[in-house]
Amino acid sequence: MNLTADKQEVRSYLLGVLDADRKTQLEEQVLSAPETYEELLLVEEELIDQYAAGALSEHERRQFETHFLITAERQKNLRFGQLLKRYVNSNPAAAVIPHVENSAPAKKSLTFSMLPAAGRPVMVFSVAGVVLLGVALLCWLGYRRPQSRLAQQRDEPVVVVTLAAAAAPRVNVPPKGYDLKLELELANPSFRNYKSELFRENKSVQTHGELRVEPKGQQYIVPVTITGEVLSPGDYELKLSGVRESGADEFIEKYSFRVIE
Amino acid sequence: MNKDWELSQEAFDALLDWLDSDREQAALKYEKIRRSLIKIFTGRGCVEPEDLADETINRVTSKLKEIEKEFSGDRTRYFFGVANKVHLEHLRRKLPQPAPPPTTDPDRIELEYSCLERCIERLSKEHRELLLRYHGAAGPAETEHRRALAEELGIAPNALRIRVYRIRMGLKECVEKCIERSLG
Repeated sequence: MNLTADKQEVRSYLLGVLDADRKTQLEEQVLSAPETYEELLLVEEELIDQYAAGALSEHERRQFETHFLITAERQKNLRFGQLLKRYVNSNPAAAVIPHVENSAPAKKSLTFSMLPAAGRPVMVFSVAGVVLLGVALLCWLGYRRPQSRLAQQRDEPVVVVTLAAAAAPRVNVPPKGYDLKLELELANPSFRNYKSELFRENKSVQTHGELRVEPKGQQYIVPVTITGEVLSPGDYELKLSGVRESGADEFIEKYSFRVIE
Repeated sequence: MNKDWELSQEAFDALLDWLDSDREQAALKYEKIRRSLIKIFTGRGCVEPEDLADETINRVTSKLKEIEKEFSGDRTRYFFGVANKVHLEHLRRKLPQPAPPPTTDPDRIELEYSCLERCIERLSKEHRELLLRYHGAAGPAETEHRRALAEELGIAPNALRIRVYRIRMGLKECVEKCIERSLG
């Protein structure tokens, strides 16, 4: 049986969108074929990772929340996936260590093997040149933003806090006259722009639109500046949505933090 | 099934004998059937899949004498038939209740995260690096990144998925134990 087709089918099954006949066949396979059971476990974790990274389509995300996420066990697994994502995002250097010790002989370096021209020196230098130009462009783009951030910080003092989805850090009430700038970590920057809504104990406090994504190190962030005066000790949630080219918006992620004295 | 029927040691032994004459193999088959039934009931949107899986197994066990006489063929398929009946009755009995939402208590989340950090530190260097590298790419680059990683390790992409899954399950178990210990 084709593995890719199976994976897709298992994915549809887990999201509750597989047709009834195939669903019955697949369930029988889950009981009788160990490889199907194992595939189910693997795809469950992959779906959790994709949800945590905001990589599911709108329809898939809805199915995930209403069908997949119904048991306490799966909610626990999602929490674990979010924590792991947070850890990986906080340790990007560890995630790209070029060497993995293994009993099997390593064939070639990962970075090198990913270059399509590997093995042809002239082509390697050409590709490397293009990569360097790309890196330089990214650095330039990344550099322009901090300049404006520094200017803003000089004119309007802000306290900057970086937020990951699975994190819930404590933030001190900003000093009088200061705002709180949240840098929302984002895995998949695929929207035209972004909007956010801040809640304090389920009550909407402040909304922001036309937010732009910015590169930060190896990640992307969406900066949102919260007016200092609206913050008081308590638990806050900030919901981030992406706005597509069509103008339609899509919920991406929820970020939590606690404001303390 | 008689509602008062309870699974006795004798009945459970008879079930294991029916599943396999080798007791160790029978126990493995029993565990596998139970885990699969839990996945099936979860896939059908049941909030308490463990209860329904146990009810299915109890029902098969309580009728074992009749089944032994009448049924021949793949025994796991028999469980599937009974599971379908149990599910139908479950649907008639009550509307599914959603599981309680997970906690968003910041202290608890921070505790879980520090447990994760501790458990990752306790992984072997090889496992830690593999786990982090596997999850190190997102978006369109992810597939190519993992394919290249599998190639580098000299294994098939699916073998890499399974290898990382097992590391991840071990890590999850470590984190759960750490949380239990921390909460006393």
